[in-house]
Amino acid sequence: MLMTAIDGKQVVQPLSPPILRTRNLTVRFDEFPAVHGVNLDVADGELRVVIGANGAGKSTLLDLLCGKTLPSEGEVWLRDENITSIGEAAIARSGIGRKFQTPTVFKEMTVLENLQVASNRRVRVFENLFQRISARANDKEVAVAERTGLLDSLNRKASELSHGQLQWLELAMVLSQEPKIILLDEPAAGMTAAETDKTAGLLLDLAGDHTVLVIEHDMAFVRQICRTITVMHQGSVLAEGTAEEIEHNPAVIEAYLGSATLSHA
Amino acid sequence: MRMMEERMTYRTASLVAYVAFFALLMVLPFFLNSFWTNRMATYLVYSICALGISMSWGYAGILSLGQGLFFGMGAYMLAMSLTLADPGNNPVPELMLLNMEPDAVRDLCCVTTGSFLWIPFRWVIVGILAGILVPCILAAVIGYVMFKRRTTGVYVSIITLAFALIGQLLIINNQPLTGGFNGLASLASLEIFGFEFDPYGPSIYYLVTLTLLAVILLARYLLSGRVGQVLKAIREDEARARYLGYDVENYKLFIFCVSAGVAGLAGMLFTLTSEFAAPSLMATSFSISMVIWAATGGRASLLGACIGALLVNFIGSLASESATFQPVWPIILGGLFVFVVLVMPNGIAGIFKDFFDRRSAPRTVEGR
Repeated sequence: MLMTAIDGKQVVQPLSPPILRTRNLTVRFDEFPAVHGVNLDVADGELRVVIGANGAGKSTLLDLLCGKTLPSEGEVWLRDENITSIGEAAIARSGIGRKFQTPTVFKEMTVLENLQVASNRRVRVFENLFQRISARANDKEVAVAERTGLLDSLNRKASELSHGQLQWLELAMVLSQEPKIILLDEPAAGMTAAETDKTAGLLLDLAGDHTVLVIEHDMAFVRQICRTITVMHQGSVLAEGTAEEIEHNPAVIEAYLGSATLSHA
Repeated sequence: MRMMEERMTYRTASLVAYVAFFALLMVLPFFLNSFWTNRMATYLVYSICALGISMSWGYAGILSLGQGLFFGMGAYMLAMSLTLADPGNNPVPELMLLNMEPDAVRDLCCVTTGSFLWIPFRWVIVGILAGILVPCILAAVIGYVMFKRRTTGVYVSIITLAFALIGQLLIINNQPLTGGFNGLASLASLEIFGFEFDPYGPSIYYLVTLTLLAVILLARYLLSGRVGQVLKAIREDEARARYLGYDVENYKLFIFCVSAGVAGLAGMLFTLTSEFAAPSLMATSFSISMVIWAATGGRASLLGACIGALLVNFIGSLASESATFQPVWPIILGGLFVFVVLVMPNGIAGIFKDFFDRRSAPRTVEGR
């Protein structure tokens, strides 16, 4: 991976044509630029980690990508499709799946029902009018439940699951969508060490088939899944590169007042 | 496996409840005099209304406090046809004669301003179709404005309530066209293929009961399928449903319109059992009463909502015959709502379901 510095901006040469591109992506909240002029190129099948301090604009960046927040300026492109401001549902249909920091699932429904709603590719009302629902999981649902360790919990209500299991369930739902791009906001938050290891393994496993964009605080976790890292600082991209490069990047070190802080960033 | 068996038990129990309920309704007229047959028919109309509320509120989380608007529109549509079918209202309804200009032509085209709108209602079938379609279209317009702007929760309730009030005012203020405050009261009986439905006979009672059965079966089919599942998901977490690719607004709009159509259908049947349509049907208190019926029976249960409507109205009618309880009935009704919301949020049906859940719960743990 090649990193070149152009006027303080670092750009990573993409491996293959980028699947996801942002151009000058900017959003201001009351004139405060939460995300400012972000140009991101994510290659097809890449596992990209976005790090940065609190308030650096990481989550806001994901919000812009999945349509939760509308940009003040700039564009988001999925391959050759401009998906800026087409709405959350349309963005999801075009192939972007989002997992939130605090698990958002359908609490009063069973794990299986959650997966059924997620995996259903017919989204229109009238396509669904005569669609019956199976009481049993189909092969795909079993596969995704197995992958996320939820196979024994298929008939349990989501509200009965532990916090870690809820994280897995939301991930399973995003996987059921079969998205091209998966956006994950701190997937390991609130997980035990063993669960974190499992999550890291799963993310590495997903990359390739999917393009994965992960926001993470925990540098230990980042090193575990260590691929390309994008560092955000005060709403802008500060640097991009491998974990090694990032940790020795003077601009990053300066922004974080020493690499010791970065480890806790 | 054991869990499956327990589930079956609950399902079997639900089926038994459904069959018992409708079997009871079918034999009931044999034990009732004509007054009570008519009363029961009216309460069953309210049950259909509660069904509509259960569909939108219980399943999709849309609490409409303007169901009375759709109910009233349904009632008026059929009442217009039945007004014209009454020989006393030939060639133009009496209400128009009372309100026309002295030199107006005595014809529906122009006897009063807008009276031409009545012309299609000469055919009863138009009244019947309009009784469902007009509420649906009205709901589509109101719903479109609300849901596209992502109005949710209590704001939906307030907006729908406001629309019901507007509807009521429009009807009261357009007396030459609508009969104003008095509504439409000189109606012919409904006649279909030469068969005349007598409001006090069993014919209307059975018409209402069979309509209720049809609506409940259709609603069950719809809500137990994919649409029902997505609606439940939307009720649980609207944003999540969006990020899974569902156009949440369209689903809400759909169920809101269906619910309005059901209310309109109930309104038409009300016209048949009660032989009038009046602006009071669109009053706020009536719309709120409907919500109380559904809440008492269990808003997330179709049969529960039906039973809730029957029970509350039956008790209400007993209370109205007692000099002690009659004046305080509205207070009791309000208290009932507070009690239900605080103590049994899933109503009578919730108690029924909890009973089965509790029985199956220990076994589920053991089976896992």
